[in-house]
Amino acid sequence: MLRLFIVILFILSSSLNAQNNAFQSGEKLTFTASYNMSGLMTDLAQVTMETSEVRTKSSTLLRLKGTATTYSKWDSFFKIRDLYESYVSPKTVTPYLYKREINEGGYYKYVKYNYNHKNRTVKSLLRKKSKNFESGFWDRNNTVTIKPGTRDIIATLYHLRTLDIHKAPVGASDTFTVLFDNKETKFSFTMMGKETISTAIGRMECYKLKLNVIGNDVLKGNNNFLWLSADENKIPVFSKFKVAVGSGELRIKNVSGLKN
Amino acid sequence: MRLTFIIIGLILSLLAVILAILPLYTLSFIPAILAFLFGLLGFYKSKKSHKPTHTPQLIFLLSIIALAIATYQSVYSTAEVGDTEQLELREENSLEESMDELESIEIIEDDLDIIESDIDITD
Repeated sequence: MLRLFIVILFILSSSLNAQNNAFQSGEKLTFTASYNMSGLMTDLAQVTMETSEVRTKSSTLLRLKGTATTYSKWDSFFKIRDLYESYVSPKTVTPYLYKREINEGGYYKYVKYNYNHKNRTVKSLLRKKSKNFESGFWDRNNTVTIKPGTRDIIATLYHLRTLDIHKAPVGASDTFTVLFDNKETKFSFTMMGKETISTAIGRMECYKLKLNVIGNDVLKGNNNFLWLSADENKIPVFSKFKVAVGSGELRIKNVSGLKN
Repeated sequence: MRLTFIIIGLILSLLAVILAILPLYTLSFIPAILAFLFGLLGFYKSKKSHKPTHTPQLIFLLSIIALAIATYQSVYSTAEVGDTEQLELREENSLEESMDELESIEIIEDDLDIIESDIDITD
């Protein structure tokens, strides 16, 4: 009986003390996104991921901001200015507000999720440009029911970094539910082992994770990988992916404000 | 045969020059090299049959120009981000709007921890 009590106490305390030792406010990661053009990798855009502190009257949240900006030489052909934001709890990376504003070669889309974790619902707003409306925008409001632990794409990426990846054996996989375009999609990451790779910030030992999107064919083939630095920061340093229109890479360029 | 080589070479060399000027300059290496090879074939065929070699020479010139521009671009063009003023403005506005919305959102840390423990992890 006493042993059972100790086990329950241990499980409870470990879940209550879910700590984020991987990142803090003020961290900035800069990446170069490249696209494979007939065998030649061409640098297309700069992707940044930043964290900052946001103080409301009742609490302090972390603002996770991601941007994608095409390099100037591409701007006259296909200008991308994307903004992704997720306001999360610093401790558990539970999202409260998510915003996605994409501006890609004249195409505009705005998505906003207001999470209500008590009712397990998300109030979503989808906005597109339309000439049929006086405001110039077409709005659609929806309420989506979510499963416990569902996050948006940005919060999922950061949540992944807070996990004890060093404890995962080769072949172990973890599934995350991601709310994207009002649909819950399951992303699975499989541990492939450790690998040392050269990056712009030096040679690094990394965890190689295989990425799979279950029930969605956005990612093609079996060669979608993510390399996370094998330290406490677990920075995403390299990613390889294949989509319908070709394959691409995301390489780290610069880091600042790391926690460890 | 000579004419076919020359026509293909000319088309490829023009394509290479156009691609070399565009941001897609990395793509111009392939047609430029191919154009050069077709130009060479056209040149020898012309020499053999004692016909004028002006067009193959033009192909050489164009493919060399394309290769030079593409090489220059790949060496000197730096990947720089264009104007981000609008994006920065959007970021600031978005933060202000979010602050207003977050004030009205109920955040309970205890509740968060329960949610965290509910996460389904499949090994």
